Formats: sequence, C-alpha cells, structure tokens
Amino acid sequence: MAEKDESSLIGYDPLAWLQQEADEIQPGLENNETAVEIQFSGSQQPDLPETLIPEKSDPVDADELPELTAANEISDTVETIVLDAVLNIQNVAKLHQRLVEALTCCQKIEIDASAVTVIDTAAMQLLLILKRTAIKDDKEVQIDFPSDKFIEAAQLLGIAEMLEVDQAAAGFF
Amino acid sequence: MTARIVAVLNQKGGVGKTTTSVNLAHALARMGKRVTVIDLDPQSHLAVSLGFVSPATSGIDDVLLGVCSLPERLLSARKNLNLIVAGPRLQEIEQLVEGGARSADLLKKALQHHLLDQDVVVIDCPPSSGLLVANALFAANEILVPMTSDYLALQGLSHLMGTVKKFESVLKKRYKFFLVMSRFVVTRRISKDVLKTLQKYFTGQILATTITETALLAECPSFGKTIFEYRPGCRSARDFTALAKDFLEGKVM
Repeated sequence: MAEKDESSLIGYDPLAWLQQEADEIQPGLENNETAVEIQFSGSQQPDLPETLIPEKSDPVDADELPELTAANEISDTVETIVLDAVLNIQNVAKLHQRLVEALTCCQKIEIDASAVTVIDTAAMQLLLILKRTAIKDDKEVQIDFPSDKFIEAAQLLGIAEMLEVDQAAAGFF
Repeated sequence: MTARIVAVLNQKGGVGKTTTSVNLAHALARMGKRVTVIDLDPQSHLAVSLGFVSPATSGIDDVLLGVCSLPERLLSARKNLNLIVAGPRLQEIEQLVEGGARSADLLKKALQHHLLDQDVVVIDCPPSSGLLVANALFAANEILVPMTSDYLALQGLSHLMGTVKKFESVLKKRYKFFLVMSRFVVTRRISKDVLKTLQKYFTGQILATTITETALLAECPSFGKTIFEYRPGCRSARDFTALAKDFLEGKVM
C-alpha cells in the first residue's frame, strides 16, 4: 500500500484495493464458473479485498476508535440498533460505543439502516470494521432495510457487497 | 485486417466520453485511418455532436434488436469516418432481461464479419452500467476511460475497475486498457493530486496527452461540428491530434 502524501488532497483512496489485488493472485480468476452467473444476475459489485478497511490515508484516525473486540462470555441474544438519520464523523464515536457494547454481549447485531439520509466515510468505515470483526469472531451482523442513501453511499465506496446491501440495489452491476 | 474495437467507457457521467469519442475519432480519420463510431448511448449525443440530429433515424438499436445488419445502418459522417447512430429504440435494449448473458453479446455478434476494412471502431458508451455497457465490453478488445481530475471520478473508477475485472474473469481475456485525462483543469491542485493517484495504479496506461477543459469543446456540439471543424488549430484541436497519435503509438505518461 502506498503511503499517504500528507499534502495530498486525496483523503480516502478508493483505488487502494487495486494495489492489494496486484499484490495477491487475482481471486476473481479462480471463480469463473460462478462469476458467469453473477454477471447478469443483478448483484454486481466487485469482489473487494480487505484493503478497503481504511488505513492511514482515511478520514478517521484509527487510534481514535478502539478496537471492536468481543468479550469471551456472550449470550445468544440479538441486539437491534437503529441508525440515526445523520451519521458522520461528529457522531461516529457514539455509534462506535454502541456497537462495541452490542458486539460484546450479543451473538447477532441487527442494524436498522432505514432512516439514514446522510452518511459519511467515517461511519461507513466503522460499519465495515464491525462486519469484519463479527466475521472474525464468528458472529453475525445484518444490515436491515438500508435506505437508498445508505445503499448509494455503500456502492459509491465499493463496499455494498461486503456490507451485504447490494442485493437491495437494482441494476446489473 | 482486424479493427481495434475500443469502448469509450466510464459509468460516471460528464467525464467527456462523447467529446473524446467524437474528436478522437475525427482526429484518427483526419490521419487517414478508417474509423467507425457507434453511438451506444440512448441520449444520442454522439450523433448530435456530428450533426445528425434526427431522433427518428434508426441505427444500432435496429441492429441489436435483429431488425437489420450493421452495414445497413452505416452513415458516412466525414471523410474516413462512419457513424452508426443510437436510434430511438436503444433504450429498449437496456430493459432486455430475457436471455441474460446472451443479451450481452448482441453487439459482438453484430460486429462479426463486418467492418473488416476499418482500422478503429469506437463505441461511445452510456453513463450507466447496464446491458448496453455489457454489450460494449463483450464486443471491445480495448477500453478507453476518460477521467476528470476530481475526487468522485476516482470513486467511479474504482467501481468501473471492479466491473472490468469481472468481465475479464468471465470472458477470460485481458483488455488493452487506457485512461485519458479529460476536462483537465491545470490550475486546480486536486487535478494534480488525482493524476498522481492514477499514475500510482495505472502506470503505463494513461495516454500522454491531457485534454484541457476549454469553452470551445463545450460549444462545438451545438453546431454539430468536431473541434477540428469548429475551431481548427485551437489548443483543443491540437490536444486531440496529439491524443490520436498517442492512441496509435501507445504513447503514455
């Protein structure tokens, strides 16, 4: 991954995944048979490598967000979190705290994203980290009823598939 | 002889796809290359830019819908430059879902055994990512992506690259891939930063000439003229002549 130039006007680098893919064996070529079916099924999003997890060049300093770590003792309960209409860097810390608590005590988190009208990259970054952490800890995070704005933002950042909201979007890709 | 089939593609709107298609095609034609441009955008802006303004004229729509063969819809637009207009029914193709993948190879099939005498076939794609773009990607062996030097264009390019890589995976081929810096505003700092970012990921794939944003390029479509007809010898005309040379010689930044 290239280092961020401090004076650059490019904050979050949306092309970073290309570098990651170049560093790895191209995973897409290993799945030709299924890819043909996907191609025209209406769920088109590029297979995104994990490098979309923002690094130094991203708008939110990772140091400001403590790791999303699940506790050892958890229940099988499901926690539902309703996202606010406006999610941005100003309130992302509050959301982070709620998600940490939910991830600590529950096996599954259901996130109602139906009310979201404004969401920035900091909030998207947090949800992406949550999703990854949950997968790593064998837990489940489900984003329910994503609003059009939420889907639009996820698609714009190329993380709709990873957040599993791409099925809600129409279109070929 | 096999023509270079180039999809001028970017799913983001307003990046200069049609301006690039029209003026690059005419520049190549002026250099003696035999060029055919296909207007695959239902908005028909490419045809309008070349002075073909009748919305009723059928073109690639009829070809893709199986009404006629491709040579039947060829129009002579300029010396060495043929045009196939979009046609009023092109939007219908976008809604074709029956047949799935088969609907995506309509253009490829239509081009088979035709235009063999051409040097370059330029496909001006719509700013979308539906079946028309899929047809262009099936048919093309090269992709030319006009890029503006703003941040959201980078985001769009990220999405586009995902699409391109999926097609490469499915079709088991590698496209010859070029970017062209379009509507470039030299005085903006972000222009340089966007270009620097692109150079990091697309080494050897950015055509050497940048097309500077000018008022003349915005004006000439309304007169149905290319930049070479509207203001020959101007900065933009020189840009596109240089770009055409880059395109032929593979000259990159």
